[in-house]
Amino acid sequence: MLSRSLIEDVLTAALSTGGDFSEIFVEDRFNNNITLKSGNIETALSGRDFGIGIRIFKGMESVYAYTTDFSKDGLLKTARNAAQAIKGTGIIRPAPLVHESFPTLHPIQIMPQEVEKARKIAVMKKASETAKGYHSSISQVTVRLMDEEQNVLIANSEGKFVEDKRVRSRMAIQAVAVRDHKMETGFYGPGAHQGYEFFETLNLDHYANEAARMAVTMLDASPCPSGKFPVIIDNEFGGVIFHEACGHGLEATSVAKNTSVFANRLGERVAPEIVTYIDDGTLLNEWGSINIDDEGEKARKNVLIENGILKGYLIDKFNSRKMGMESTGSGRRESFRFAPTSRMTNTFIAPGKSTPEEIIANTEHGIYAKYMGGGQVEPATGDYNFAIMEAYEVKNGKIGKPLKGATLIGNGPKTLQLVDMVGNNLGHGAGMCGALSGSIPVNVGQPMIRVSEITVGGTKGE
Amino acid sequence: MNIQEFQTRLFSEAQTNGFSDIEIYFEKKEVFGCQVHNGDIEQYELAEDGGVSFRGIVNGKMGYAYTEKIDEASIPFLLKNATENASVIDDEYIEEIFAGSDRYEQGNFFSTELNEVSIQGKIQFIKDVEREVLAYDPRIVATDYCMLRSESITKTLANNKGLTLTDQINYMYAHLLAIANNGEETKSAFEFIMTRDFNSLNAKEFAKKIAEASLSQLGSKNIPSKEYPVLLRNDAAASLLAAFTANFSAENTQAGLSALNDKLGQQIANPKITIVDDPLLEEGLASRTFDSEGVASKKLTLVESGVLQSLLHNQKTAKKDQTITTGHAKKDSYKSSVKVGPSNLYIQPAAASFDDLVAAVDEGVFITNLSGLHSGTNQVSGDFSVAANGFFIKDGKVQYPVNLMTIAGNFYQLLKDVQEVGSDLIFPLSPIGSPSILVKSLSVTVE
Repeated sequence: MLSRSLIEDVLTAALSTGGDFSEIFVEDRFNNNITLKSGNIETALSGRDFGIGIRIFKGMESVYAYTTDFSKDGLLKTARNAAQAIKGTGIIRPAPLVHESFPTLHPIQIMPQEVEKARKIAVMKKASETAKGYHSSISQVTVRLMDEEQNVLIANSEGKFVEDKRVRSRMAIQAVAVRDHKMETGFYGPGAHQGYEFFETLNLDHYANEAARMAVTMLDASPCPSGKFPVIIDNEFGGVIFHEACGHGLEATSVAKNTSVFANRLGERVAPEIVTYIDDGTLLNEWGSINIDDEGEKARKNVLIENGILKGYLIDKFNSRKMGMESTGSGRRESFRFAPTSRMTNTFIAPGKSTPEEIIANTEHGIYAKYMGGGQVEPATGDYNFAIMEAYEVKNGKIGKPLKGATLIGNGPKTLQLVDMVGNNLGHGAGMCGALSGSIPVNVGQPMIRVSEITVGGTKGE
Repeated sequence: MNIQEFQTRLFSEAQTNGFSDIEIYFEKKEVFGCQVHNGDIEQYELAEDGGVSFRGIVNGKMGYAYTEKIDEASIPFLLKNATENASVIDDEYIEEIFAGSDRYEQGNFFSTELNEVSIQGKIQFIKDVEREVLAYDPRIVATDYCMLRSESITKTLANNKGLTLTDQINYMYAHLLAIANNGEETKSAFEFIMTRDFNSLNAKEFAKKIAEASLSQLGSKNIPSKEYPVLLRNDAAASLLAAFTANFSAENTQAGLSALNDKLGQQIANPKITIVDDPLLEEGLASRTFDSEGVASKKLTLVESGVLQSLLHNQKTAKKDQTITTGHAKKDSYKSSVKVGPSNLYIQPAAASFDDLVAAVDEGVFITNLSGLHSGTNQVSGDFSVAANGFFIKDGKVQYPVNLMTIAGNFYQLLKDVQEVGSDLIFPLSPIGSPSILVKSLSVTVE
């Protein structure tokens, strides 16, 4: 993408004012995005992202610059301008670049750029027809298909020189159901670190029917009661609650600054013994999987909480300096426009022993969250909030009527302590996670779990 | 290859390749940002950014493609992809390339002085703010997201119907999260400032505002969960409005995704509510003299005294509704297609001071912050259930902070239930603004 000698010149220019580390990230990405609404293709967009990010460290200072100007003069100017922010003595020369190879953990079979849009559209139409045909109350179905091929080159003054190709594919199905002036939506968005083969092997009927079923079911939902209840959260995207409530607090971004509630607590009990929490970028072809992170470190499996004991954090290169701990292959960024920082990949609660049937049968009166919506957390306090997309009442050990407008609020570390049952049906769900270094693909996951008490905010009142 | 050469070559090759109407839109952006933590520069960002969007009519349909790489090879890439994208579009309404409005207003969204402020000056300011916040009170234990950012953006639209338009806008903003702890609980508060006049900034005043905001939340108590009158502070009201703004888009009404469909001329809100969209606002984040199709910008009243007067339209949605465009074609960036969206949209401020609004409440809740709006809202039905921070009001006075809450209700009902509108219009780092508003009743759940 750029010549090796130019990269060396840029890394050298970046260190010209006394920086102790410089890095270049070159990105060349091809995107396709197609939207089908009510059976018709409404938009078809394609494009090429291209740019270069340059990062310099000096001790605990970090400078980042990026540009879309790839000329030699433009790049050297960007590197020198960035270096102006560093005032050091003694100039270090970058180490000679050594091309590093690594195993391709996530093989790609069919490159999306090589597949005609008409073929992609055929798959979308099938999903749309399936969802529309689910029930007469489905008034509209929107299907979006996204694919991307991201080529990156990462080199740094320590001699690292790696290249990687990341290919991702995702389909998002949204169904709207209408009856008697009531309108509800259902959504499913499976994705993978895979090429076009993902759509060919995807169980389209399942996802399309589920999106439609969700919308139709919610038409009959009653307003959710407010109060404190035992809450059962099902697998797959249900894991979003621990992504927000724990995952973000385990990222070095907030741990290194001591603003996380989990800072300085390694080795302490932070959860009941039944809870093991893992971040694993190596899971085969999963949406959040990576071969290497955006600093060129190999993907790995990081056990964060083991049998309730805090074992580790997610650490990027810069924060590893601050914390005096090794990088965990967790430096990620949306694009060349962002300096990387510690982020999650595929994060999940490991499976336990209870069957889903046992968990429900053991719950006298509570809320069952079948599908979670999104949420957010303030890492400093651990306070979170989440929407439940499809909720049910649980009464006398049985799933009862559907509920709408349910929000869960609470404090992450406290909620973690209250997990009292962990199921055996581990599943992962695809999502986009937004934070300091932009919006990146991640999986959240868990088996069905039960929390003995969460505050539920509903529309019904007490 | 500079952008002028690129445009000339692209237009000429597009015509050779069967494109009739052609448009190019490009953005160029200069960014400076820095984040400090405990007096150190933690993040320092410099950028020259931009990209080119191409669209054109080929075989009777509109095709799009974009690139951030301005080089020879990108020309065939754009033409090939735009042609393929056009071929798969099913929409019976064809987008049109616009020949131009009669008259364009002069924009005043750019300050030369702001672009001349030194990087050192900006860094010093944000460091001063952090230092002042930490020194304000021993209970302030940390800061986060303490950053300043300035952006200068040039947007150009040109087509082969003779139109060439350029807008320039710049702004600077700073924000910070202060974390307070009294030994029993940890609370945080986030505050921002945005300006085009660097000299008007006062680090000490800004620091005091943030520090007070975080300290005031300590000592929170429980109140019974039930329906309360709710006073939404200006920034919280604006964030709620922003979550439902898409309902004013004709794209959403035509798709059956907005309950405002068929409501033109009807009372949809309390008569105290007037909502306008003003693209020419001098201090706006989304200010512009032309929209994404090149249509001249002008102020539009969407809701007047509670009555829905207009929706937001671009050329295509206007044609479907047999009306004329309101100049609200919107591209999120050069990567996007032309959609419909607001510019600077806000609830018009009224006369009531903030103290008047509090005084009007016998027993209620004053909300200073909402979170989870991206997930806790149902755009289509208008239902929302979101996390909230705030205070208890009794006998017309703010009493004490309340533990984490959720407030739940319905946006359309809320518009009707507005009792008072304040005078304190604000745009909370967003083009969607509001004054504080007092709502008759919302469901409040306390943790």
